[in-house]
Amino acid sequence: MEYKYKNVMVIDDNQIDLYIAEMVMATTKFAEKVICKGSAKEALDYLKPLHDHAEELPSLIFLDINMPEMTGFDFLDEYQNLPETIRKKCIIMMLTTSLDENDRKQAEKNVFVQRFLNKPLDRDKIAQLL
Amino acid sequence: MLDAYLEQVKHKSDKLMNYFLVSFFICGLLLAFFYDTWLVGIGIGSLSLIAYYCTKLLLPGSNAYQYIVSLVFSIFMAQFIYQMHGLFEMHFIAFIGSTILITYQNWKLQIPLALFVLVHHAVFGYLQYIGYDKVYFTQLDYMTLQTFIIHGILATTVVFICGLWAWRLKKSSETQIEQTYEMGRFQEEQLQRKALLQSNDELRKSNKELDRFVYSVSHDLRAPLSSMLGVIGLCEMENMDPFIGKNVSLLKSSIKKLDGFIIDILDYSRNSRMEINRQEIHFADLLTDICNNLKFMCSEDQRKVEVRTKIQNGVAFYSDRSRLSIILNNLISNSIRYQNPEAADPFVEISVEISASSAEIRIRDNGIGIGSENHEKVFNMFYRVSTKSVGSGLGLYIVKETVEKLRGVIRLESECGKGTAFSIHLPNLAS
Repeated sequence: MEYKYKNVMVIDDNQIDLYIAEMVMATTKFAEKVICKGSAKEALDYLKPLHDHAEELPSLIFLDINMPEMTGFDFLDEYQNLPETIRKKCIIMMLTTSLDENDRKQAEKNVFVQRFLNKPLDRDKIAQLL
Repeated sequence: MLDAYLEQVKHKSDKLMNYFLVSFFICGLLLAFFYDTWLVGIGIGSLSLIAYYCTKLLLPGSNAYQYIVSLVFSIFMAQFIYQMHGLFEMHFIAFIGSTILITYQNWKLQIPLALFVLVHHAVFGYLQYIGYDKVYFTQLDYMTLQTFIIHGILATTVVFICGLWAWRLKKSSETQIEQTYEMGRFQEEQLQRKALLQSNDELRKSNKELDRFVYSVSHDLRAPLSSMLGVIGLCEMENMDPFIGKNVSLLKSSIKKLDGFIIDILDYSRNSRMEINRQEIHFADLLTDICNNLKFMCSEDQRKVEVRTKIQNGVAFYSDRSRLSIILNNLISNSIRYQNPEAADPFVEISVEISASSAEIRIRDNGIGIGSENHEKVFNMFYRVSTKSVGSGLGLYIVKETVEKLRGVIRLESECGKGTAFSIHLPNLAS
């Protein structure tokens, strides 16, 4: 069975959630390579140099909201300043425990965000994305 | 306030009066040198002073002494006229008395003085006219009627004007006091308003902080739970030993229960504090969202519950979407949770009828139902009908609170084994 995506990035400060995402995506053959980043800053540092290596860029980015130093929304603010090659290639999914209506609204307003998912990521939610 | 002011006027005037009376007395003594009128000077003068101070001491609460002082001034006039053997200028003493009396701001005080002067002039003038000896009224040998009338008119005018001034003075003090009072009240109101605004701001701030706190706490409590569920999800993807599999599913249901509890508390806290966020409600979308969220709710041993929706909307309906979502979510999930294993086809039917003034929402299922003895109690906080109840005991309490926050009414019809129907009447917040 073929993998659905080549590269998928997950940004979450919780190591267990990163591990869950990695495992779920591997077993469901959702992504060939899961790039796990423990902070939004690390993720930006990873993405920036890749603007001329489009094939290396993740097709999907799963983004947590509540993170120390730089929240998911802070990441989105920075993200819109990234080169167009990156913005074109990557689709962002919010993946969070937040049930807050305002968080959902704010995320849905953002043009780069395609979906708002609630944790935990499991087989059913992955199936919905396929 | 006005009384306090008038009291102050009286007090100050009384003080002045002491000086004036003493001066008049001393004047009487000085005038005694001219025609050797010591008996009159000391006698009448001291009688006048005694009359004044006695009245003042004996009737401390009354203003009678002020009328006495008015009388005393006119008596001094008569005394001085006599002492100077009818020196015409001594008649002016009456005018001095009249003007002094203005200080009390009471026109009536002019009356005793005017009356006495009238009587004195009439009596003494007549006595001198008929040639009675030792009565000194005027130095003129003969006073014509014309002179007497002019004299009377001028005196009346002075007394009248002094009375007028006293009256005007009192009026203007009254309005001034009133204005000052109004001003004070206005300033006080301003201060109160300012304090109110400030405490309003503080309240808003603490509300915001509390909201922030609830948000963080609920996130921090729920994040580890969702990690646990995630890890359990990973385990479930593998073929587990049936014993371990059973234990893991028990773990899972406990975690879900705890998570549900936290969400209930979060909903409760939000409902009680947040302002109503009025927006147009699209029931079809709202119900689709809710049903999607509840899709995976059934436990393994339960059947899927058919959700039927009937929406009748001719006009736009306005309410608070997140509150409506709390209400419907709780009621529909109850229908799924408490389905009747004996019923042929478990269903929940949601019908919505919208009018310009309200929405009538009815949620009917064929679940296990609630006995009539529990119909009142199910809406109580932490009340659970039976050991079969799996929730926190908050769900229907929150539903009721939320409906009430939206100024609506909820009714329950239910029979054990037949099913449950909730009817909700919500006002249309279109305007």
